[in-house]
Amino acid sequence: MLGDIITPDLFASALRMATPLALAAIGGTICERAGVVNIALEGIMLTGAFFGTAMVLLTGSPWLGVIAAVASGAGISAVHAFASINLRSNQVISGTAINLLALGLTGFLMELWYGHPGTTDPIKVLRPIFNFESPGGGAIAEAWRWFDSIVFSHTPIVYLTILIAIVAQVAIHRTKWGLRLRALGEHPRAVDTVGVSVYRGRWVAVLMSGALAGLAGANLTIEQVGSFTENMTNGRGFIALAANIFGRWTPVGSYLASLLFGFADALQIKLQILRGVVSIPPQLFLMLPYLLTVIVLAGVIGRAVAPAAVGEPYEKG
Amino acid sequence: MPVLELREVTKAFPGVLANDRVSLVLEKGEIVALLGENGAGKSTVMNVVYGLLSPDGGEVLMDGRPARIKSPRQAIDLGIGMVHQHFMLVEPLTVTENIVLGREPGRFGAIDFATARRRVEELSLRYGLKVDPDARIIDLPVGMQQRVEILKALYQGARVLILDEPTAVLTPQEVRELFSVIRSLVDEGLSVVFITHKLEEVMAVADRIIVMRAGRVVGETSPEKTDDVGLARLMVGRDVVLRIEKTTKPTCGDTVLHVEDLRVRSDRGLEAVAGVTFSVCGGEIVAVAGVSGNGQTELVESIVGLRRPLAGTILLKGVDITRADARTSIEAGLSHIPEDRHRRGLILQFDLAENLVLGDHRVPPYAKGPLMRPGQVGAMAATRIADYDIRTPSAGVLAGNLSGGNQQKLVVAREIGRDPELLVAAQPTRGLDVGAIEFVHRQILAARESGKAVLLVSLELEEVLSLADRVLVMYEGRIVKELASGEADAETLGYYMTGGGGEKLSAQELQAPTHGGNA
Ligand SMILES: Nc1ncnc2c1ncn2[C@@H]1O[C@H](COP(=O)(O)OP(=O)(O)O)[C@@H](O)[C@H]1O
Ligand SMILES: [Mg+2]
Repeated sequence: MLGDIITPDLFASALRMATPLALAAIGGTICERAGVVNIALEGIMLTGAFFGTAMVLLTGSPWLGVIAAVASGAGISAVHAFASINLRSNQVISGTAINLLALGLTGFLMELWYGHPGTTDPIKVLRPIFNFESPGGGAIAEAWRWFDSIVFSHTPIVYLTILIAIVAQVAIHRTKWGLRLRALGEHPRAVDTVGVSVYRGRWVAVLMSGALAGLAGANLTIEQVGSFTENMTNGRGFIALAANIFGRWTPVGSYLASLLFGFADALQIKLQILRGVVSIPPQLFLMLPYLLTVIVLAGVIGRAVAPAAVGEPYEKG
Repeated sequence: MPVLELREVTKAFPGVLANDRVSLVLEKGEIVALLGENGAGKSTVMNVVYGLLSPDGGEVLMDGRPARIKSPRQAIDLGIGMVHQHFMLVEPLTVTENIVLGREPGRFGAIDFATARRRVEELSLRYGLKVDPDARIIDLPVGMQQRVEILKALYQGARVLILDEPTAVLTPQEVRELFSVIRSLVDEGLSVVFITHKLEEVMAVADRIIVMRAGRVVGETSPEKTDDVGLARLMVGRDVVLRIEKTTKPTCGDTVLHVEDLRVRSDRGLEAVAGVTFSVCGGEIVAVAGVSGNGQTELVESIVGLRRPLAGTILLKGVDITRADARTSIEAGLSHIPEDRHRRGLILQFDLAENLVLGDHRVPPYAKGPLMRPGQVGAMAATRIADYDIRTPSAGVLAGNLSGGNQQKLVVAREIGRDPELLVAAQPTRGLDVGAIEFVHRQILAARESGKAVLLVSLELEEVLSLADRVLVMYEGRIVKELASGEADAETLGYYMTGGGGEKLSAQELQAPTHGGNA
């Protein structure tokens, strides 16, 4: 029984499930470090997922699809940037508006371009990079099976995400961009008074977070599912926000927190096999990742400190 | 040729002309003090120079050439540095990170932290501004934070340094250190604009004094040519009584407040008040003098019901209020002007009328059952605003939009207007300019005349000496000396305030930086 649940694939799948969460969470980290709340991650991810799929359907190239996803994510986040930076509107409202907009826009374009709601035709997906032969039998082969499955079974964006987490972590702490980013979210006026543009810094951060959330959408459709379904992000953008907080507003922390949520999701799928054994409603398992989010947000991270100026529009003078 | 020159700089905000054709000149190696009441337009004019505000008219010249300064970046490039009234430091970042922010050394986008740190150390050594380059700002005391601000300006290559009310947050010791830093900066060839509303500081440090009032430059003088009375007159636009003489003898009526063997713990769990006994009678002002942090705050908080004492009794007109909360204390006839008007005195997001009724909002005539009566509240607010000369367009303005002096008048109006038995005034003139100080002092004296008991807690020797009928000197949680007003002078007070055992500080040393400082 336990052997059916604890398999190499459980961990491999945790890594896969963590990827879109982590990308969006790192996007959230960058955005909030600059002082802008990005509750729109959900909608941006959905936008990326849709335009990525549409591009693959149009051109047959998964990589062009990834580019379209990233570009459309950055594009729709520009709306959030303009509203919350230039117009100084409430960032939560602007983010919510984008979530609603993304849902409506993707549904509308589905109908317009493909003539039906629901799910698109299947698309050409990105395959795992590595494909190693597995050696004969015995304990060594078993160990290799685990190793291969967890480390080498993945698609490109899964690896790219780990790279992004590490690079972003270093960049935030060791580069000029990172220093200014950290300062922006804490005390934008201090940044302004040393002659660095607050607006530009925040714009760049919001666009980056949009690009990352768009990439998360590409991972969902072009690597995992192989088609687009309306509202397929299903709350992942919000879980990503929680992961960013749980990860204490750092990229690597966001990644690790996403891994935890990804693991919960993978486990939930595995646990479905228990349905034949004991009578538990499947919805209970489905709740697992969300339940974990609530518990984590309510308890463990009670004392995490957000950037001091997050959510506050900046006004010159 | 002057380093910096302003010609007819004008800047209006909606409803206020903050700067009205302001012209001034700063020569190389000179310390110019820009003196004026709160709201005179000092910060505004310097924010124009620093590129944070764009003027509606006039021009700024640097080294004799017209400079169009549209952003802080341009100001920095021209060699102008500014230390703002509210520090522009990012608290979770280190000293080095804050100083190099915006001009980080390094290539390809990476920061060369070793070089950054070395430059900070070099500057710190050269100007005698000792600071740990790796400390986080949040862990540093304000005096140290200010050094970081000055270092930041120097790192950016400032030749002209503007200091906006740099002493407002400093202890007297830190003020002295700042003055010597300023002098060494000038020796190194910098020119300094020093903004303040404190007369003694101007007299102590300035080469030349420019006085602003209501957006205009109203006079220019130098410490040799004037004294604080003259300066005060220029600044406020009328004669100001710097030290009010009491006209009547204290009339000691019934004992109003009696404190017996009070012991109070501080937030950190130490015994901050270690057995204090005293009383205050009606018609008398008793001042508690002492260096900051000797238990005054905890003493006040326990009397007004904001902190539970460890032991002892507090009687108000014979009623035991030792363990009473603030509401019970108010009902027993206590009023409190808190030392921090933003945190405890006012709700900045409430309007004036709402702030004025706080504490009395449950009782008639302002309430009827569970409902408040806006008419009554509004009428009361209108009377108080007139009586206490609170400058505001209407009672519906938010308290946060008033100047500091008017905010304090608002607190005073509420607390004295309530007609209490006992007024506890903690640092009632902190951060105020001379005009507002005079006003608050007059109100406190008027409360005494009308037979109220007043407990004044102040760090300002001048204030204690001019108002008190009796002075209790507090040192390390105990009252180490009681003096009648006749026996008290700055020297004696200073002697007991520092423990009595040590050497006597000279009156000069105690007075100059202490007054207006907030140790
Ligand atoms: N950003 C602003 N918006 C509107 N009014 C302002 C602003 N800044 C300052 N003022 C007003 O301009 C006047 C001058 O203010 P300020 O220069 O800060 O005075 P000071 O520094 O001398 O105390 C005051 O009446 C103040 O209320
Ligand atoms: Mg000012």
